[in-house]
Amino acid sequence: MPYAGTEMSEKPTQGLRHVAFQTEPEKTQRVEYRVIEAIRRGEPVDPSVHASLKDCDGVIEIDSFNLWYGQAQAIYDINMKIPRGEVTALIGPSGCGKSTLLRSINRMNDLIGGVRVDGRMRLNGSPIYAPDVDVIGLRKRLGMVFQKPNPFPMSIYENVVYPLRIDGENRRRVLEEACERSLRSAAIWDEVKDRLKQSALGLSGGQQQRLCIARAIVADPEVLLLDEPCSALDPIATLRIEELITQIAEKYTVLIVTHNMQQAARVSKNTAFMYLGRLVEYGPTADIFQTPALPETEQYVTGRFG
Amino acid sequence: MSRMVGDRVVPAANGARPPGKPLEMRSTPLSARGEPMIWLTGGALVVCLVMIIGLVGMIVTHGMTTFWPRPVEQVTLQDGSVFLGIRTAEDDEPARTLYRTGNRDIGREPFRWVSHADIASIETPPGAVMVEREAWSVWFGVPERAVEVIDGEQRVVAEGYEAVMAYYHAEHASARQRRAEVERLMRQDLGRVNREMERQRLRVRSVELDMQRTDRIGSPMPLPAFVGAAAAVLGLLGVGVAVGRRANGHSVSGRWVRVVRLFCFLGAFIGILGCLLHAPWRGATMTEAELASLRDRTAQREVELQAEYDRILATIREKEAFDARQRLIIVEPTEGRFAPARQIEPDNPIQLSQVVRIVDTNAMGTGQKVGVFLSRWWEFLSTRPREANTEGGVFPVIVGTVMLTLLLTITVTPLGVIAALYLREYAPQGIITSTIRIAVNNLAGVPSIVYGVFGLGFFCYTVGAFVDAGPAPEVRLPPVWWWAGLGTTVAAMIMAYACGVWSRPVPGTEPSKAQIVLRRSGWALWTMTLVLAVTLVVRTPYFTGFFEARAADGSPTFGSRGMLWAALTLALLTLPVVIVSTEEAIASVPNSMREGSYGCGASKWQTLRRIVIPGALPGILTGAILAMARGAGEVAPLMLVGAVKLNQDLPVSGEAPYLHLDRSFMHLGFHIYDLGFQSPDSQAARPLVWTTTLLLLAIVLALNLVAIIIRARLRARLTGSTV
Ligand SMILES: Nc1ncnc2c1ncn2[C@@H]1O[C@H](COP(=O)(O)OP(=O)(O)OP(=O)(O)O)[C@@H](O)[C@H]1O
Ligand SMILES: [Mg+2]
Repeated sequence: MPYAGTEMSEKPTQGLRHVAFQTEPEKTQRVEYRVIEAIRRGEPVDPSVHASLKDCDGVIEIDSFNLWYGQAQAIYDINMKIPRGEVTALIGPSGCGKSTLLRSINRMNDLIGGVRVDGRMRLNGSPIYAPDVDVIGLRKRLGMVFQKPNPFPMSIYENVVYPLRIDGENRRRVLEEACERSLRSAAIWDEVKDRLKQSALGLSGGQQQRLCIARAIVADPEVLLLDEPCSALDPIATLRIEELITQIAEKYTVLIVTHNMQQAARVSKNTAFMYLGRLVEYGPTADIFQTPALPETEQYVTGRFG
Repeated sequence: MSRMVGDRVVPAANGARPPGKPLEMRSTPLSARGEPMIWLTGGALVVCLVMIIGLVGMIVTHGMTTFWPRPVEQVTLQDGSVFLGIRTAEDDEPARTLYRTGNRDIGREPFRWVSHADIASIETPPGAVMVEREAWSVWFGVPERAVEVIDGEQRVVAEGYEAVMAYYHAEHASARQRRAEVERLMRQDLGRVNREMERQRLRVRSVELDMQRTDRIGSPMPLPAFVGAAAAVLGLLGVGVAVGRRANGHSVSGRWVRVVRLFCFLGAFIGILGCLLHAPWRGATMTEAELASLRDRTAQREVELQAEYDRILATIREKEAFDARQRLIIVEPTEGRFAPARQIEPDNPIQLSQVVRIVDTNAMGTGQKVGVFLSRWWEFLSTRPREANTEGGVFPVIVGTVMLTLLLTITVTPLGVIAALYLREYAPQGIITSTIRIAVNNLAGVPSIVYGVFGLGFFCYTVGAFVDAGPAPEVRLPPVWWWAGLGTTVAAMIMAYACGVWSRPVPGTEPSKAQIVLRRSGWALWTMTLVLAVTLVVRTPYFTGFFEARAADGSPTFGSRGMLWAALTLALLTLPVVIVSTEEAIASVPNSMREGSYGCGASKWQTLRRIVIPGALPGILTGAILAMARGAGEVAPLMLVGAVKLNQDLPVSGEAPYLHLDRSFMHLGFHIYDLGFQSPDSQAARPLVWTTTLLLLAIVLALNLVAIIIRARLRARLTGSTV
């Protein structure tokens, strides 16, 4: 059964599949939203970051990061480390800055005029926002998949090898090998192996999204940034992509934005909860879903708030 | 309970649902239903369609009927005079008929209005024919004899209409072939010899000019200085490459690295230029003795060429003499005179080879008429014009039009696309870009003749003169000044580049005051660089033109009206169309595609080249089609920059350089105007106006169709509908 927020609050017993938890109905009535109230008032808050994530081996380290779209601030003072080789989920209500944060990691926000940032972000210890950074090289190390599948209007094959082609790789054998390898990793090889030369626009939405994932991993990036990769897909396609994420997480670090609590619970090792541009709570997924430090986190993941 | 408020049903307070309201059969007011508007809009469309269909229909019917053979009538008037002719027009009030009567070379009126009251009888005698001739337009008469003249003696070979026609059918093809051979010899072989002679003469002339000028060009460098300069160049290149390597290895290119690299490469560029222009092996072009020997050789070659010329001419004379033997005697009924070979020799009957076609319509069946119709069309499409364009074909005109249109399209499309790409993708969107955009849009509204005037003044007389003979002697800078200027330009360019590099803020932060100042000075420096560069080119002492010798004789090559300048003028005229549609096409490429590409680590240029431009291609092609259509239909500017009434030399030929862009050309649009209004015999030309218009329409349509088909293919590929 797909997750639906309102339904959940009416029937809390039909819980999540993997992480089961129970909340007493009477407790929901009088929760004190201490942190959230502070955020709403615009006061700086101290996010609750679980100990295991405070001094982990972070591929990406975010250090008092702020971001403004023109005059409007979208991200406030975020400090977090994305641990290497694990899947980390970003959750939070719509408009809280999850996509913005994700897009600042591979500096996609440079493309938007009037964006201003403050603070530091590091990839393997080297700063992402330094004057001399080669943005193109940076983006090659960070694969990205967008909310809406966006295959290019070319053949399936050309789509997958696009990142290699722009690197000047033109040897046919290399390209074909890479294409097959990443299509297999993206679990779409069997469906498209006979139509590699056909247009990618003829694929279904779910296939297109898996194709985009194949494209994102063909050049062996270090981190995979996924921005709501399943939001345009049906439950079955979603399931396949989730399986896929679990598989490729063995090789890559994955940072995934999602609105689907079940999905976060199923695929991620760590979860970060954001609200109005700030980090609220960040910890191992099991803790966030079962024994969160803050009541508002619990309320949000059970769908009673947000 | 429920009550009505206006048309809506408001539920009653007690919560009982009201019964559904039945569908009323009351009619909505006419104004609300908008029936009159449907009629109005539909009517407007119908009016437009009727006008367009009428236009096309009229052109097609008139254009198609021109070549249909019509019966030759023999008209006897009340006063007993007789003439032959074909009807070309009718008038009702007063009732009269326009006859085409031809026979202009013996002083007849070629067209004649005849009042119906004056006509005694009209017949269509089977022997009456219309003869289409190479010169003096058509002849109406009755074929009586065919003779062969050998050594001044006439021998009759056929007597009577039918025998003459049989003779004509048997001999005409080979006679015409001989004639075509003579034409070819005159045009191609004699032309080739003539041009070769001219080339020989020009070679001597250009050496002479060069020798007069040696003092003005920079003196050659002594060898040690040259070696030093060459070594410096190599050193600079080496440093530049090394710096570039280092930068690549680190995948981070620092600011200094970039500026130093540019400095090295530009320095090397200047060095190479200097070495080439002042190389030690550059001395005076020739010594006097060498020049004298060149003159001798040229004179010798000229003698050879003259001999060849005479030989070709002898061949031509021989063939012409052979042609002069076969003659036809075709008699007009009015005074019994026959068609002469030339107007000044009325006693010599016309030669068989001078006859293009004898049309004996009165004796023809429909099949034969269709044959004549088709052969006239073929002649029209494949041969050159005769008789001040009123007869013959329009082959050079078609070639000129198609070439001009293609040339214009291939110049305007890249130019416009690149400009639009910069405007939309690279230029910072602000007041300046908006102003440029508005200005470009307004350019589309400038009357086309203005472009013609500009093209003539700028392209033909300024750029063309520069290409021909280089800058005028009084504007040439002394070499020292020129090199100083080049140094300044390069310095300004490097500074401008450095300003650009250092004025770029750290991503995600606002530019500081200093950076804004730097950016402004960068712009100023780029402007200065541009102005200096143009000045250097325009006043260079090192360029003396590609066709100096001809220009010195007062016969410009590119310095006058020609195909190239016409194409460039039209390219300028159609530039706004391409820019606007390309900009739209680029804007319509979805942003998600771009983001996807950037996300894969593509640079801006790679994204443009691989995603944006292919995606915008159908729109770009639309722009090109519009430009092509507009350019093909222009006449006014062409009259100023290159279209002429008659130029038998095609802009393409088998002779090097194959593409003769300096030549003036014929153009269908101008040809129509010329036929209709500049023709000595406008009555005769009128049907051709229609046919030529039809042809222009067909050519523009065909060109557009090709482009549209290509676009449809592309679009299908982009949307993935057909794979
Ligand atoms: N290009 C932009 N220009 C200005 N403001 C923007 C821009 N993109 C996002 N914002 C603002 O920044 C805030 C965060 O947006 P963001 O897209 O990161 O939210 P999100 O968490 O991804 O939401 P969703 O879950 O709905 O995708 C929002 O208030 C949004 O209005
Ligand atoms: Mg989002």
